[in-house]
Amino acid sequence: MQQISLKINGKFFHFLVDDHEMLSHVIREKAGLTGTKVGCRQGSCGACTVLLNNKAVLSCITPAVRCDKAEITTIEALAEHGKLHKLQEKFVQKGAVQCGFCTPGMVLTALSLVTTLSLKEGAASLIHQIKEGLSGNLCRCTGYTKVIEAVAEYALETCDPYFTKKAILANELKRAVGIPRPYLEAEKKVKGAAEYADDVISKNSLHCKFLRSVYPHALINAIDVQDALNLPGVHYVATGKELPVKFGVLPISQDETAMAVEKVRYIGEIVAAVAADTEEIAEAALRLIKISYHPLKAFLTIDESLNDAGENEKIHEYGKFNNNIHKKAELRFGDQQQGIRDAEVNTSMSFEFDGVNHGFTEPHAATASWDENGLTIITATQVPHYLHRALAKVMEIPLGRVRVIKPHLGGGFGGKSDPFPHEIIVAHLARKTGRPVRVCLSREEVFLTNHGRHPTKMTVSLGISRDGTMKVLDADMAIDGGAYGSFGVVTTYYNGVLLQAPYKLDNFGFRTYRVYTNKPQCGAMRGHGAVNSRFAVESLIDDLAIQIRMDPCELRMKNFLDSNTLTVGQYRITSNGSRESLEKVMEQSGWKARIGKMEKGKGLGVACGFFISGSALPIIWNELPQSVVHLKLDFDGRVLVTSGASDIGQGSDTMLAIIVSEVLGIGMDKIFVLAADTLLTPVDFGSYSSRVTFMAGNAAKDAAENLKKEILASVSKKHAVDSDELNLSDNRLFTHDKSLDLSWMEAVEILTAKRGAVCVSGKYISPKLGGDFKGAGAGLSPSYSFGACIAEVDVDMETGFVKVTNVWGAHDCGKALNPLAVEGQLEGSWHMGTGQAISEQMKYYKGLLFNNNFLEYKIPTTVDTPDIHANIIETIDPEGPFGAKEAGEGAIHPVIPAIANAVFNATGVRITRLPISAEEILEGIKKNK
Amino acid sequence: MISANTYIKPTSVSQAISLAAANPGNFSYLAGGTDLLVNKSQGNDHSAILIDLSEIAELKQVFANDVQLVIGAMVSLDELKTHPLITGHFPILCTAANSVASPTIRKTATLGGNLLCENRCSFYNQSEWWREAAGHCLKCNGSVCLATGGNKNCFSKFVSDTAIALISLHTSIEVVDVNGTTILPLESIYTGDGISPRQLAETAIITAICIPLNEGIRGVYKKLRKRETLDFTSLTTAVTLDKTGRIRIVLGGVHAKPVVVDGTKNNDPIALISQAISNTRIVDNDTYSRAYRKEMITVFLKRSLNEMQLF
Ligand SMILES: Cc1cc2nc3c(=O)[nH]c(=O)nc-3n(C[C@H](O)[C@H](O)[C@H](O)COP(=O)(O)OP(=O)(O)OC[C@H]3O[C@@H](n4cnc5c(N)ncnc54)[C@H](O)[C@@H]3O)c2cc1C
Ligand code: FES
Ligand code: FES
Repeated sequence: MQQISLKINGKFFHFLVDDHEMLSHVIREKAGLTGTKVGCRQGSCGACTVLLNNKAVLSCITPAVRCDKAEITTIEALAEHGKLHKLQEKFVQKGAVQCGFCTPGMVLTALSLVTTLSLKEGAASLIHQIKEGLSGNLCRCTGYTKVIEAVAEYALETCDPYFTKKAILANELKRAVGIPRPYLEAEKKVKGAAEYADDVISKNSLHCKFLRSVYPHALINAIDVQDALNLPGVHYVATGKELPVKFGVLPISQDETAMAVEKVRYIGEIVAAVAADTEEIAEAALRLIKISYHPLKAFLTIDESLNDAGENEKIHEYGKFNNNIHKKAELRFGDQQQGIRDAEVNTSMSFEFDGVNHGFTEPHAATASWDENGLTIITATQVPHYLHRALAKVMEIPLGRVRVIKPHLGGGFGGKSDPFPHEIIVAHLARKTGRPVRVCLSREEVFLTNHGRHPTKMTVSLGISRDGTMKVLDADMAIDGGAYGSFGVVTTYYNGVLLQAPYKLDNFGFRTYRVYTNKPQCGAMRGHGAVNSRFAVESLIDDLAIQIRMDPCELRMKNFLDSNTLTVGQYRITSNGSRESLEKVMEQSGWKARIGKMEKGKGLGVACGFFISGSALPIIWNELPQSVVHLKLDFDGRVLVTSGASDIGQGSDTMLAIIVSEVLGIGMDKIFVLAADTLLTPVDFGSYSSRVTFMAGNAAKDAAENLKKEILASVSKKHAVDSDELNLSDNRLFTHDKSLDLSWMEAVEILTAKRGAVCVSGKYISPKLGGDFKGAGAGLSPSYSFGACIAEVDVDMETGFVKVTNVWGAHDCGKALNPLAVEGQLEGSWHMGTGQAISEQMKYYKGLLFNNNFLEYKIPTTVDTPDIHANIIETIDPEGPFGAKEAGEGAIHPVIPAIANAVFNATGVRITRLPISAEEILEGIKKNK
Repeated sequence: MISANTYIKPTSVSQAISLAAANPGNFSYLAGGTDLLVNKSQGNDHSAILIDLSEIAELKQVFANDVQLVIGAMVSLDELKTHPLITGHFPILCTAANSVASPTIRKTATLGGNLLCENRCSFYNQSEWWREAAGHCLKCNGSVCLATGGNKNCFSKFVSDTAIALISLHTSIEVVDVNGTTILPLESIYTGDGISPRQLAETAIITAICIPLNEGIRGVYKKLRKRETLDFTSLTTAVTLDKTGRIRIVLGGVHAKPVVVDGTKNNDPIALISQAISNTRIVDNDTYSRAYRKEMITVFLKRSLNEMQLF
């Protein structure tokens, strides 16, 4: 231990630190400056960047003692007297802040970069330098597009004509909907003031660490925790038997316990948990726990799990089958036999996809505590509501004794949408020790927790007539679910059912399996279920277009479903911007002029897609509305919006405020959003299946309309004017002829007189939809998004290296309530899709995840990310709030096959495995020779 | 166990060496720490004593005399590009340095540290828990190599990118240990044994990197990796030609040490390439397959020779 003095942000601190303690730990835990984020602890994400004597360093690999007497600048120092630094301002204005977890590191890296930039060589060179300079900072949300714009604009100081998009900052706006605006909390995030789960440090809390299985499949003979318990500083050691109640996000897959009970099902499963005074003591205690295992046969691949298994070899006992199949589903529509007869040209291909992970930058973290009101857990979750239910179930306490609070969240993408073992365990440890207990997973543990996209194998056939009309589609697929159920049953269906659009198909069927394997479980990830099968179909279309010598865009155009129609599986399609989307990207990419005329190695590819705007059916069958929003208007003129919706960086809090602002005609400064606290906020089912804008947005609109009615009624009564005569706009309430013209505050005074604060409620309930066959519910949504992408690639014909140079994308989101946020979602989706296409994969060695860190799990950096050209298509959905539908997930579907089709266009090599590998491209090129 | 951690910041090389000599088997020199501290966090380095070299002024100089350019071992990779002497004479070194890690890491990472960056393997650069679950490999006290499924040799990859460029420039290093100062050709310190890939006395400090001037060397550097930043190498190549017609080919990432092939303009380039390939020992311990990395050697070398108009 050493005493060191640091001058952090101009203030002198003296700390007693361990000689090997990292600066990030001192800054966060000892100086309490939690604006500095830790995403990997291994120097590979850039989140922890701070300035050390004005030089950018990664504080997670900088020993604190090395900094003795040095000056340290963290993100908290940038804004002076509360006023944002110009660079921070740019980040906010440009929408470069989404979840905000990478932002502090990104801003500080950019700040130290700008002094070195050369502006002389023009815009392209400037962008290149910025990309290069930020290439060590991973962002999973933005696709870097807006970050680069922000830094470039800052560097140029004045607005260069190269960037034309303007963000409007004023809060006093005449209209709210459709105006690009930063998130409400963007300033807080860019200042490092927004608190994420691991930043909310409860006094007197204990630290929790987990012991994880080193076997993929084994019986636990015995666990001896005595030595660990005896270690000074250890307060409790828990094992699986203490939490025997099973849980899972789906009622039909309650197959998981918080810790392994009797047997382990994957390498990395939690077998014991320690609560101790410090992380180091907890870790030391883990080494003292002795476990003896009896290894069982491990099932590691889809094929192994499809085979018959001995009774004691099954991963789960409860399955119906004598193997490790978890779920089978098969649906057939129309007459596929007839379809095959009608088709004049057929193609069939087999595909294989590796699993991929969400890669959000904020690791899972949670703190649990108990008091007279029961359990409170502050946790990084996308679905407070389902966690609420799971905690009550496993802790065996009434629902009314659980409070789940979601603070700011550093990205989810589906990976924070199940109830997780670590959340249940800290709740348990906190109950046992009577102290708050906190946990923050390491990046390796985040990868082991997984719930990412399922590894998938499928064979898909598509038949068309010579004129390009689709006649028949058949898909046969199997997905590797890993050790537990998670969302898997839904995934199983989605794989198939989400092929029935965006093209008209009369004869369509699929058969799908989900198997259990002894690997970390898979679940929902952006574009849930249909990403891989969409890839297959779009590849087949590309192939068929070539066979019948038709432009693949034209072939698609020919087959798009119309608006206001039903699909073969009885999805109700309302608004549909497929055509506009495809037209837009064709025009913007110069498709017609360029396709087929490019030199070898360069190519363009196209693909389309669609996605649900929220599942019409709840996960847990009940009669609650899908979303409820409360508004409270008090004497001060402020509207408090409370909603259970979980802002995970996608901007849902801002969306709610925009809607309320629009309906009430008041500025955003009069609206305050309180969300995702299961004690204070009414139920919303959570941020999954792209449901929030549609469902919570509609609930907010309903609530605001109810409030508006109350206001108008009170004014109408007081001034004896007809309610229909009254308007609310521009912070005023007035009659058509302006004979009555009240300020908002005057109206509020009338409303609250003799009554006080007025509370109203609004809700959204999805209409009854769909057919009445088994499986008809899967993929039903009140509305669907549509979109198209064209990708351009540059393939090195000697190395097979694929460089994606451009992605032109267009997405029909109905109505962009906040175009800046929609663009951000699209850019992020196309970035993530690029990753799955070219570099991301989860690799295993005998069931053990190889690449469990940000160095080896290859998320594209700034320099690997194509130039992304985002286009919003608006079709004004009849049922969406102000016409809006989803924009967060669907956009990922077309980009991956577009890239693969571009690779085919460039090289003549058809991609049937993801990620695209240089090895296979080279092999293909050689074969074609 | 927890209290034993120590950190010391000597101000001279001799002081550092005496500290080291007093703590055999239990210390590491700390330069930028960007390799060491990650290995430490994964439990691959257990030294309790960190001897930080960052305050030793003599290790941070860059100067040239008549015959050579001398770069102090503690000069950061980022600083290299700010010295006209280096950018002017040895652009290949700058290219190599700029291909290491990320811009932020390069501000901290040193040239000396890069030369001694630990060899890597997908079975070794893992957490303690992971390595226990995998059943420890040779490099972490196990009995067989997991990458090859049972070999008794360790094939961890040599990954220093600047070493490849420097060797192609016929660089020597100045090493000081308890016995005094030695000048060695850089390549001579690498053993080719994946478990202990360097043969330097335990207390040895690399003090300076000396690149010969006046040899009229030009060269081409290439690096194979999945992402165009951050990633360690899957194959590094450097090819140089000096004014007398000497060609040197150096490969990294394909053996536990750099692979060096010397020739002249008069040699058949294909023969030089074949010789380089036959000297490699590539196994499947990387994100790219063994076969692919091998194939890329030819592609990279042909391209490099081509760019130098030697092919
Ligand atoms: C995300 C990430 C990506 C990376 N990518 C690359 C890459 O692409 N290519 C690459 O080569 N490296 C890479 N590295 C590793 C590392 O950053 C570099 O090798 C760096 O140059 C090491 O220098 P350092 O000063 O930080 O060395 P340190 O980590 O301080 O030291 C490395 C070793 O050398 C010893 N040492 C250091 N200096 C001396 C000296 N003067 N005398 C004697 N012994 C000494 C240390 O004891 C230690 O054993 C990466 C690291 C990270 C975290
Ligand atoms: S937390 Fe330091 S680089 Fe990721
Ligand atoms: S905003 Fe960059 S990771 Fe979320």
